[in-house]
Amino acid sequence: MSDAKRPHDMGGEEGGPIDTVDHGMKFWEKQANALRNTLTSRKLVRLDELRRAAEDLGARYYELEYFERTTEALRSVLIEHGFFTPEELARKIADVRRRYDAA
Amino acid sequence: MTLPSAYTEAPVRRFARGDRVRVKQTHPPGHRRTPYYIRGKPGVIERVCGAFANPEELAYGFDGEPKRVLYRVRFRQRDVWPHYTGPQSDYLELEIYEHWLEAA
Amino acid sequence: MKHHDHSHDRSFDEGAPSEYEIMSRAIQELLEEKGVITSEQVRQRMEQFDADFPYRGPRVIAHAWVDAAFRARLLEDGKRACAEFGVDLEADRLIAVENTPDVHNVIVCTLCSCYPRALLGMPPSWYKSENYRRRVVREPRAVLREFGTVIAEQVSVRVHDSNADMRYVVVPMRPAGTEGWSEERLAGIITRDALVGVTLPKA
Repeated sequence: MSDAKRPHDMGGEEGGPIDTVDHGMKFWEKQANALRNTLTSRKLVRLDELRRAAEDLGARYYELEYFERTTEALRSVLIEHGFFTPEELARKIADVRRRYDAA
Repeated sequence: MTLPSAYTEAPVRRFARGDRVRVKQTHPPGHRRTPYYIRGKPGVIERVCGAFANPEELAYGFDGEPKRVLYRVRFRQRDVWPHYTGPQSDYLELEIYEHWLEAA
Repeated sequence: MKHHDHSHDRSFDEGAPSEYEIMSRAIQELLEEKGVITSEQVRQRMEQFDADFPYRGPRVIAHAWVDAAFRARLLEDGKRACAEFGVDLEADRLIAVENTPDVHNVIVCTLCSCYPRALLGMPPSWYKSENYRRRVVREPRAVLREFGTVIAEQVSVRVHDSNADMRYVVVPMRPAGTEGWSEERLAGIITRDALVGVTLPKA
């Protein structure tokens, strides 16, 4: 339904207490952020595309944490642009996982 | 050497600082940078930010041309939230694209 | 800090890698193999976000506290004044908003988490949180109280939702008791929470 408000568009909704402590970022999150920034600053992907892809996660938006959403969005947009195929990425993911399991 | 600016030129524009405007009450699907909560609300142009490529098009891989004029619009909190309990002088300020605004 | 060329060092994270950590590293490796980016580019960016960006905001604001003409230029055009001060904000189009005895400013991005990263570094976790994004536009005074900040009724609270192309920084009021301080000492009491408006600097 086109007039339904989407999950990311949350300004003004009811909400609970704010956890005012900054929990910082894990190493992989800092790297994910730097990766994203490296790509957008070189205009290989646009920030607007990444936002749109995150918004299109729909109900999953609330199930994922911030850098999980940005990673999903980056995956989608890079595939859209033809940087790699889903199959190539799946193979590389299996490869990375094997290396972690072996370490 | 010219220093960069936060603003860009927007020589052709509908509104000026101080104009009373209303955000359109429309809910098109797709990527929009006008939050749901501000649609249909009345405000005043606080400043002209410039003309920028339309993010609604950039989001889908298009070049976003022709550029659209972006304004900062000041809203009284009491005009946005029916049950706002803070003072009359509390404001909300957002950036709204020209095509989302109508004269009020 | 150690730097590894292939960037799958996890020595700083504990526990098994999550699905998304693996996906993110896989994406990066694939792009490196295809020559789209290099691991050095990513590493340099990480370094900037850690060691450079977070220190800029306090320096710029401390300078504005000390130099009234610079302050005026910062308020007129944040990006231009920073460039003049030697701070390249890259893509960020900065608007500086000043706190006065009559006005207190607060920044949010309700739609995602836009933040002037090239001036302040990465946003804190609470800024990106759903409850902050939901509530601060509608009940800013209650939200500020959760941060220990109480704004008097006669002071106007202005919430800036950075929903489009501009980015914001708050110029807090310089606290009493800081007369004669050097810019470096002043920068030391300017936190990024104060530059977003949820707290006030304390001498």
